[in-house]
Amino acid sequence: MFGKKTEILYMFSLISGMLILIFILGPLINTFNWIQKDLMIEALHDEKIIKSILLSMKCATYSMLLAFVLGVSFAYYIERHEFHGKRFLESIIDIPMVMPHTVVGIALLTVLSRRSTLGKFMVAHNIDILGTEIAIVIAMLFVSLPLMFNSAKEAFKWIPVRMENVSRSLGASHFKTFFTITFRLAWRDLLSGMIITWARSISEFGAVIILAYHPMIAPTLIYERFSTYGIVYAIPVTAILMMIAMVLFIALRLVASNNRKRVKL
Amino acid sequence: MIKIKGLYTTLGDFVLDEINLQVDPGEFFILLGPTGSGKSVVLESIAGLVPIKRGGIYLNGKNIISQKPEKRNISICYQDYNLFPHMTVSKNIWYGVNFKKDKKSIKYKNNFDRLVELLKISHLLNRRPESLSGGEKQRVSLARALIVEPEILLLDEPLSALDPNTKEKIQWEIKKMHEELKMTTIMVTHSFQEAYCLGDRMAIMNEGKILQSGAVNEIFQYPKSEFVANFVGMKTLIELNKDEALLFGANQPIRMGIRPENILLSTNSLDTDYEFKGEILDIIDFGMHKDIKILSKGKVYTAFLTINRLLEMKITLGDTVTFGFNREHVNLINY
Repeated sequence: MFGKKTEILYMFSLISGMLILIFILGPLINTFNWIQKDLMIEALHDEKIIKSILLSMKCATYSMLLAFVLGVSFAYYIERHEFHGKRFLESIIDIPMVMPHTVVGIALLTVLSRRSTLGKFMVAHNIDILGTEIAIVIAMLFVSLPLMFNSAKEAFKWIPVRMENVSRSLGASHFKTFFTITFRLAWRDLLSGMIITWARSISEFGAVIILAYHPMIAPTLIYERFSTYGIVYAIPVTAILMMIAMVLFIALRLVASNNRKRVKL
Repeated sequence: MIKIKGLYTTLGDFVLDEINLQVDPGEFFILLGPTGSGKSVVLESIAGLVPIKRGGIYLNGKNIISQKPEKRNISICYQDYNLFPHMTVSKNIWYGVNFKKDKKSIKYKNNFDRLVELLKISHLLNRRPESLSGGEKQRVSLARALIVEPEILLLDEPLSALDPNTKEKIQWEIKKMHEELKMTTIMVTHSFQEAYCLGDRMAIMNEGKILQSGAVNEIFQYPKSEFVANFVGMKTLIELNKDEALLFGANQPIRMGIRPENILLSTNSLDTDYEFKGEILDIIDFGMHKDIKILSKGKVYTAFLTINRLLEMKITLGDTVTFGFNREHVNLINY
């Protein structure tokens, strides 16, 4: 009787799984059905499209690197210390993940606009961030940083502090211990975090469009093509971006997988 | 020689209070106490791994309190081994040598060979830690700690994660290793058997304080408080009124303690300083030995008998037996 119940439960799980796969893969695969050959060839030669895709990748990479430096170092501190207000601090870092993207854009605009204190200071020093690649990176970083931070925190959690203690007692400095033991054991998880951060950055649209409509990243270009010419003209850019993102994502995922299979603690 | 003076620190709600200790060169010192008593905090303070609020730690006369852990030359081994999983056994052992100024010195090669032989791990050198048994991991961890020739070796419950057979072997190997290397060692444990087998001197800790310190045998025979007596396995601890206390040379109400192995049991008479008759109240089975509870004049005494001896004596519950003990085994604890 118990077995039967379990089987029914598993069947329900499998049906749910199939629905999830259809839900995710259906629209993705269907996008390719909408491609018109001549428009696709044209798109592959369209400098504006290529530039926007390259800009998306470049800004996402900068955002990921910044998130890596800031997120990893702070996550290491958080994971190795207990203090009052720690959970509250962690919740604050998670806030960008639950905020609507346009809200993020508006919030960032209040800080970066010419009317803000920072904006006035930047105007006085001839610095203009809005409408630049820096604004795009800032928007991407804001929404993706929590992902890098949380991945790094998880990565450091499973490395025992005592292992670091042993290393230090054997003569390795804190830095050497971090790089020869902690980082060495955590790097695959950190790489996973970087991939997710990069993916989140490249997919950002809502916040970016408020801070920098131009220079145009690929999602903005897709939006522009869609709203101006319709779905048929938006499809080639969408398909190219989708393919590049998927290939990179799968390749890096493969590199980052099997971490704990190789190194058991 | 390491000397700890007035060591005080807090970790959350836990307070380590005014710890004073001295461990002589080549000595095997035990910190014994229940879980949460602060033994490991003392050990990590010595290694420089927890912040100290007050007091001093003197290594060969020099206060090392402000020195970073990597500068102290004090190695630590934990119960969970903490071998570096991404390195082979050999690389694990050599790890600390990489940070030595004289890392090319032949002495480390000699240390390596000697430790590998002493700890019988030559067949494991190319293996990864994940494929080792608990005992093998602890041997490797010891070799890694000792190759760098530390001033002090700190062992944090090194036997507690091992199965009984392996535990016995490693305990013997630690003893042999200490006899050969004469390394100043401080070991934390909550097992009084380990303390008895390995330690020269020891300190008993509870709730962040040292309750008693001295030679292992002395503490086991003459604990100064009820807590220490209970903790070191002094199972007979009875309260004597003024008249009863006179028999043992005290002139006031007092507590008297005797270790179970010091109470002799017989069906006939005994040649001991004190001799009583009592009724077998209970026989508690501990596998290879039994604790015999004897009721005599309203007081309960606990003696220790091996299975063979129990079978020889053929005693059962309710039997009347003669039991006794000698004067030097009587421990009087003031209220």
